[in-house]
Amino acid sequence: MSGPSDKERGFSRRAVAIGGGIAAALGIGALGLTVPRLLGRHYRQSRYDDLLAQLVDREAAVRVGQAAIATIKSSARSAPPQGPDQKALAKVLRQRLERRTLAEVTDSDLAQGFLVEVQGWVMPITLVMLCMLAALES
Amino acid sequence: MNAFIDARTLPAGTVLEPDLAIVGGGPAGITLALALAHTPIRVMLFESGGLDFDTATQALYAGSNAGLRYLPLDASRMRYLGGSTNHWGGWCRPLDAIDFEKRDWLPYSGWPFGIGELKPYFARAQALVEAGTWRYDDATPSMVALAPLLRLGDGGVYTSWFQFSKTRDNVLPTHFGERYGDDLRHIPNLKVFLHANATDLGLAADATRLETLNVATLGGHSFTVKPKIAVLALGAVENARLMLASGGISAAGVGNQNDLVGRFFADHPIPRDTATLVSFAGDMAGYYFNPTQVGDAIVRAAYAPSDEFKRGRRVLGSLTTVENPVELNDLDKAAIVSAALAVGADASNAKAFSVGCGLELQPDPERRLTLTQARDALGMPRLKLTNRVSDADFQRYRDTMKELGRQLLGAGSGMIRLNYGTRSAWEGALDWGDHHMGTTRMHVDPKQGVVDANSRVHGLANLFVAGSGVFPTYSASNPTLNLVALTLRLGQHLRGVLR
Repeated sequence: MSGPSDKERGFSRRAVAIGGGIAAALGIGALGLTVPRLLGRHYRQSRYDDLLAQLVDREAAVRVGQAAIATIKSSARSAPPQGPDQKALAKVLRQRLERRTLAEVTDSDLAQGFLVEVQGWVMPITLVMLCMLAALES
Repeated sequence: MNAFIDARTLPAGTVLEPDLAIVGGGPAGITLALALAHTPIRVMLFESGGLDFDTATQALYAGSNAGLRYLPLDASRMRYLGGSTNHWGGWCRPLDAIDFEKRDWLPYSGWPFGIGELKPYFARAQALVEAGTWRYDDATPSMVALAPLLRLGDGGVYTSWFQFSKTRDNVLPTHFGERYGDDLRHIPNLKVFLHANATDLGLAADATRLETLNVATLGGHSFTVKPKIAVLALGAVENARLMLASGGISAAGVGNQNDLVGRFFADHPIPRDTATLVSFAGDMAGYYFNPTQVGDAIVRAAYAPSDEFKRGRRVLGSLTTVENPVELNDLDKAAIVSAALAVGADASNAKAFSVGCGLELQPDPERRLTLTQARDALGMPRLKLTNRVSDADFQRYRDTMKELGRQLLGAGSGMIRLNYGTRSAWEGALDWGDHHMGTTRMHVDPKQGVVDANSRVHGLANLFVAGSGVFPTYSASNPTLNLVALTLRLGQHLRGVLR
């Protein structure tokens, strides 16, 4: 028996992941990293850059954040019509990410079952909050 | 060798007096006949159909449906020798220990015995369904030797294994009528009657025993059976129908003094494309997608909640299989990239697959079969099935799928998307397993069950029910292997009763 055939198409992240050497040199850990985005894409300065710097692929995060915000706006009866605001998100995120990396907090979220759904995708809550902040700052 | 007897050739007024009448020639009936082979017990088996599919006979199954969409009653089972094994998929998996437990959070749960009561019969049942060496959850080392598992982090879902019935080589699956027909012909203490439809259960005046079984053919013949003991093995739907329709002594029907016959109907909902599973590394082992030969067994992976997780999170059984590659949109890819990076994984080669799931419903007395005014060609009232699932059924499945997603991310190996966010959308995607269960449920208390721990109908000394209709709870495991084991246990009991 065989697995999926050659015809079965996956997808490739547009980004090219590079190893831990450059990443470590840049002080962001050994996560996959997008060279073109890192070197070529500039985001406007934000008072939340200390938090947003934890996002390796900001473009992907913005897209996830937009979807999460849209979901909240459409489904949560008690949510403000304008959706979540940066200040409130940042306050929670700074508490969660104080002296911890996103990877560490993600591990903790997963261990404790702190998960949310974004268009059905089951994701760690802190990551999604960070994505929402990125969307609001984009 | 005993040739099968065509009931249409019996003279009018025939009265048969076997020790044991088996009503129905599906997996339960055939198993029971085989179990009692070469004993002093004079057994007769009455099968409605012949050796092949026949439209007129199949039409006797027709009924109506109400509530949640379900298959037509004449399409979800087969009425000829071998019964519904004539269209089953051969999927086998034993019940889990928790399936037998009374759970205070699950109304109507609890079998009269534990899994230990069935274990002595599993080996023979496994042989009868021809599923090879008993592996199931012990298959992991053999399968890992073929290709690695998709890693799961610690949690409540684990990689379980189906096995598959096979007739020979890797031809799937075993059709009991075809496979065991010759064996039945060679049993000296057995007579098999084809085209013989049980139409009425005649009770003694004091309603404590079955006296007669009326049998009719589509050609207009009828005859009478006066067995010492009778076992109904017509399937969960038809057993209930015959009992409800037999109102000669008790208007409510046979065994229905507590209004339980036909209630608690169950099947396994199978929501299609219920989720999308992503493997960050890309390809997954073939055994996730296809039945895979390992020695004399054919095996396929499934994700199952552990008994501990079921207890702790109050969820029921589910068996999740990986199906086909799927395309993803930009948001999907963004979610995958973001999550993979957050857990330190590389999703450059990720692939996504649709996921199917068969799951267990909670027992529900209002999911039920009732008689209608419509009649079939034999004059028997037709059935109506009222079908429904609950919010809890939907939520429990989601809880288990989210746990699987959590564990995939925890291992850095993948993630999950739940494709249906609302119960109505999920219900719209439901197929069903054709695994009819529950309508003559087993319980030691006559007020809570139709049959007792030995499958004897409460209040009747000599009427028994075989098959998955007696399951009080349903597991997510496919019923055939388990109903065969339970029938072997019944056979052992009847040997003692008829000694």
